Amino acid sequence: MKKLSVKTIRDIRARSSAFKEKKILPVNAWLSENIFKKTDIIIKKTYRDISSLKKGLIVIPIMLVVPLLFQLIPPAIDFGLVSPHHAATVNSFSLVFPVFFWTLGIVFTIVIGTSGAPLIAEEIKTGTMLILISKPITRTRIFLGKYLAVFLLGMVLSFIAIFSIGWITVLINSGNIDHFISLIPFLTALYLYSLFILFLFTSITMALSSILKKSKTVSVVIILIIIVSFVAFQFLRTIVGGFYEDLQLYHFDLGYHLGNVFIFFMETFNAVPPSISWQNLFALLTGVYKFTNIIDPDQRIDLGGLEKTNYYLPIFSLLIWIIIAVLLLALGIYKLKKREISI
Amino acid sequence: MIKKDSIHQYEIWTENLTKVYGKGEEALKAVSNINLRIKPGIHGFLGPNGAGKTTTLNMLIGAISITEGKAKIRNETAGTVAAKQLIGFIPQDPVFYDDMTGEEYLIYLGQLGGLQRINAKRKAQELLDSFNLFEARNRNIETYSGGEKQKIAIAAALIHEPKVLLLDEPTANLDPIGRADVIRKIKELSENMSVFVSSHILSEIEQMCEDVVMINHGEIVIFDSISNIKKRFIRNLHVLDTNMNAKFLEVLKMQNFVSKVRIDELDGKIHIIPKDLKKLRETLPHLLIEHNTTLFGFHLQERSLQDIFMEIMSEKESEKK
Repeated sequence: MKKLSVKTIRDIRARSSAFKEKKILPVNAWLSENIFKKTDIIIKKTYRDISSLKKGLIVIPIMLVVPLLFQLIPPAIDFGLVSPHHAATVNSFSLVFPVFFWTLGIVFTIVIGTSGAPLIAEEIKTGTMLILISKPITRTRIFLGKYLAVFLLGMVLSFIAIFSIGWITVLINSGNIDHFISLIPFLTALYLYSLFILFLFTSITMALSSILKKSKTVSVVIILIIIVSFVAFQFLRTIVGGFYEDLQLYHFDLGYHLGNVFIFFMETFNAVPPSISWQNLFALLTGVYKFTNIIDPDQRIDLGGLEKTNYYLPIFSLLIWIIIAVLLLALGIYKLKKREISI
Repeated sequence: MIKKDSIHQYEIWTENLTKVYGKGEEALKAVSNINLRIKPGIHGFLGPNGAGKTTTLNMLIGAISITEGKAKIRNETAGTVAAKQLIGFIPQDPVFYDDMTGEEYLIYLGQLGGLQRINAKRKAQELLDSFNLFEARNRNIETYSGGEKQKIAIAAALIHEPKVLLLDEPTANLDPIGRADVIRKIKELSENMSVFVSSHILSEIEQMCEDVVMINHGEIVIFDSISNIKKRFIRNLHVLDTNMNAKFLEVLKMQNFVSKVRIDELDGKIHIIPKDLKKLRETLPHLLIEHNTTLFGFHLQERSLQDIFMEIMSEKESEKK
């Protein structure tokens, strides 16, 4: 048996004694002690600041209005479908695009952006951050507390919005609980996608709030990102399509990547059958599918689905933007740690 | 050079503490090689506006980075959680979450200071009581008066039971009654903890502190006890006022116990620096009678910290020129 040196024995004794005295902690205890301790206090305070019943009563109806308007378009009647359940299922297809573009697109990202924008920038500007950082809490914990409060708010809002859409769709079309159960994979996929959007836009917002001096500037940048992602690239793709592909602009097209990630969740959960009725809209506005105007005049729905552009595999789009969100989260923490804070 | 182990005796210790804003030609040295050795007690940190007081305090709490040098609070590196556990800080213009009540605010900061909620609440109520704010505890802070806001700022600094209190111009923006109230409170607090209080109002520092650090253009110009500073800068200047100062000036000029004598342009009185003070005091009554002169007043010129401060600043300015 190998004989241990005196130094090694001393090291082992020191470690063992340090562990007993809790100087060296197991990983979960270390995380709790070093990262999350006191973060819960910041989360509670921040969540209280950014959430209110009034805000919910305004935001939730805005998130619901467009998808529900789409429900009022009665395609199922024209299709001569045999049962209300079948008609409702077809109608749920029409939820895909408005939920992607409006509920979890423009509205959700703006809500995240405007809720998170002032949390660092405004506290530094007004001077309350100076008091916070004079207390025995690290800036990392302050940042994470505020970050997680925005994340929590987003989780609650998207949960209420998605499941409200599900219930109201069922009530409008069939009122049948089986129909709601059949929508669960779709609603789950939507919720997981909303968590991805939440992670990405909370990271963007909080990083900007750490870097920029004014919360209004943060909000403007977020809105510009949303406009560029959901509107500007769409014009580039549709009006100057060749130019878009030649210059490989899809690498930088967040709208395309978001569409691709959305499709990833839809496909993974087998949530919505492929159909030209929503895929063509996706083709036009995200570039995930190759657009076609050839629709079978007899069926009017191509159940075979459209061919993808496949600039990126959906899983790659997901991973790339998760990595970007993680990097932005780290950047936000780094910038806050380095920021000079004074009134 | 101070031995490393002697750092332990200081509440605040800095070595060549320097802060430079910007880079290259636009670089601005806000604080330059400051060496503080603050022992337990109450200490003043004096300087005109823009002297570097707030920058120094901000470095001590870790709000801004230190460009060069070191700073420690009771041997803990400034800006670390361990150092911040030891300090209570009040900024120059405390800002609050106006939608919080006084009690909620203190509980929140107490929890961030490491107290369990129940203990934070108990401590908050004790502090509110001691600052006569208990009745106002459930009101939003935005409804508080200026004096009440300053009190809640002090209570917030004390909520986690710090050992060293750093106050940046705590009486600024307060009315005279509010000022007197805060000064009294700070003196009370200094019985149980060390206090380092910055101000540009010298009379207040004189009322509160035993020792004082004077700073100008980011550099320490004097660091001593107030009594020592006064002794050092005291002058043997006597002021005499009679019913005929101009005529009596000529009489005094002929006396051999007078070193310098003149009529001051500002107060119109005779300013005398004696060679022999004892002889001046003995002879002066006789001279007054002899020249049929009425005495209005005769006293040693008192020098306030303000006068000394202004003189030091003026000397430093002339040295720079």
